[in-house]
Amino acid sequence: MSSLENLDESRALELSRQCVASKLPFQALPGDDDDLVETGLLDSMGWVDVLISVESATDIRGFGDIWPEGRAKSIRALADMIREARRRVPGEKPGESFAAGAQGGPEVSIGAWGYALGAVTVSTDQIESECAIPPHKIRNGAGIRSLQVAADTEDELTLGQRAAEAALEMAEIPAERIDFLVATSTTFLNLPSFAASLHSRLLLRETSGALDVGGACVGLIYSLAVAKSLLRMSSEAVALVVASEVHSRRLNAPHVPGEFRGLFGDGACAFVLTRGQRNSLAAPADRGGHAAVRLGDFVWGCSATFASSLGAKWGGNAGLTVQFKGEQLAHAAVTQMERILEILENKSGRPRTEVDYFALHQPNPRVVEILAEKAKIPLGRIPLPSATGGNLGSATCGISLCQALTDLRARPNPPQPPLIFMAAVGPGLIWGGAFLN
Amino acid sequence: MVRFIPAPTSASPPHLEDQNTHGLLSAGGCVGEVELVDMLHKAEVSADLERLFGCELHTDTHGGNAWVDPGSATRSICGCEFKNIRFRVFQDAGEVTLRAKLVLQSGETLNSLPVVDREWRRFLSDLIHRSSESGVSPALEGFLNRSIWRKLMPVPYCFARIGLARGKQMEGKCWLMLDSLFPQPNAAWSDGL
Repeated sequence: MSSLENLDESRALELSRQCVASKLPFQALPGDDDDLVETGLLDSMGWVDVLISVESATDIRGFGDIWPEGRAKSIRALADMIREARRRVPGEKPGESFAAGAQGGPEVSIGAWGYALGAVTVSTDQIESECAIPPHKIRNGAGIRSLQVAADTEDELTLGQRAAEAALEMAEIPAERIDFLVATSTTFLNLPSFAASLHSRLLLRETSGALDVGGACVGLIYSLAVAKSLLRMSSEAVALVVASEVHSRRLNAPHVPGEFRGLFGDGACAFVLTRGQRNSLAAPADRGGHAAVRLGDFVWGCSATFASSLGAKWGGNAGLTVQFKGEQLAHAAVTQMERILEILENKSGRPRTEVDYFALHQPNPRVVEILAEKAKIPLGRIPLPSATGGNLGSATCGISLCQALTDLRARPNPPQPPLIFMAAVGPGLIWGGAFLN
Repeated sequence: MVRFIPAPTSASPPHLEDQNTHGLLSAGGCVGEVELVDMLHKAEVSADLERLFGCELHTDTHGGNAWVDPGSATRSICGCEFKNIRFRVFQDAGEVTLRAKLVLQSGETLNSLPVVDREWRRFLSDLIHRSSESGVSPALEGFLNRSIWRKLMPVPYCFARIGLARGKQMEGKCWLMLDSLFPQPNAAWSDGL
């Protein structure tokens, strides 16, 4: 962020002189109108370093990428370019319009999305055999037809990167346009943290933030809430939110019950958020796009009554230990998610019958079926990535949301605007929800 | 492949690998890219920044290129695998400059590396030439970071050789540069232009 939006000529000149001086530490500063390259003071490499130095000092992205023909490469020309760029949209690279609709508006929208699943498909027979689970329990009891787990070459970073790259591609923006990254992963336990590691992996610019958010299965909803708040509070325009989990490695420990481990797959999802209303981020209107989906209110809480149904401890000789009361947890999840839907109805002022899609956390598909029946919502309005991928932790409701948004995008006459409810529960029991319209 | 006779060389640190030669003759035969990268893996390699040149790297600005103190660096070239890459193109009337940003296996990044790899520079020139001939003027940077990136990153041997430029006498800094980038560009990659 820069405080240079109303830069006067003398300040722009001073800033340009500083940037040039940093490249010529042992020489007297040339005159403001001297051409730094023609006079031989800087070679082309040094000139590019000056441009990057100005970009870093002013946060004008893409500063000088295309230097106008005939314009001198002088201190004064740099100052003029700074002031010209400032008169355009602050922070916007010439020719890029992604954040053009994101100026000043208080609303935050999901502009683009993407997801990635572990590359290896594991059949239920294989899961049951590996996890010492009675035959057919995973398929018939939990409703999971297969799991998607990470290949040897995949981890939280590679899956998160793939999801993020897909979202950036849909948004048609380079990674440099991201002002901050909010990331969540329960299974990534390393330092540097997941957000920092993913920031590097995506080669986001150094002046873009990286923030980790907890919350386990509710982590994505919390991350969206945090990103929305940050976008509304600051002058930042574009955020990237990523959730990524690789359970197959983390839960592969002797003290993790097989019937727990056998429910989990690996996956990631990513969303590009922008401040302000913008039409058709994912696909411009002339290419069949629709209005961006606005992030509405968020709700959350912690219902400790059900806290003992799921717990995990890391550390010690035993590695990971999981305490898991399957039936109690399923009951708690259904009860809590139905309550979240009720709260969202009140918050949005819209009954669940008007909701186009429900993007829900899915401990397993059977739990979702029970919830759908209890809450009287058509199962067809709940995209079910868990049926073929398993419980994907924080990424589950995110991938469900991705599938809902993709479905909407493919419709010839999508509802304008669509209405989506999100709900998730996690150990604690912490819970969170949001509505999008 | 080439054949040469080494000649006495007085290399000054950190450019200790520099070697004068008597003549440079073709020895026939050709080493494929996979084999070449395999061989380069057996030369100087590092998975992190500190071991690239055996010393600390410094930067002057956020997002700017890194430099080393010539007196601290123990070598002037080193290979590394990279996990991601982005290009940046600076254009003016007289010249086009290609810079790259890399993330290494360690998760550390190198920003704004001048790309001096001959094949990549030639490829960029061809891209510019083709786009001006066809009248199609795509955002070059976008084309590199989308179409070309999609062809480059799935290749299983993404490998870069990072070199040190010779420090200017007064400056006391050796700036990093991207000497070689594998895979090398393929002319067919620009077909979508």
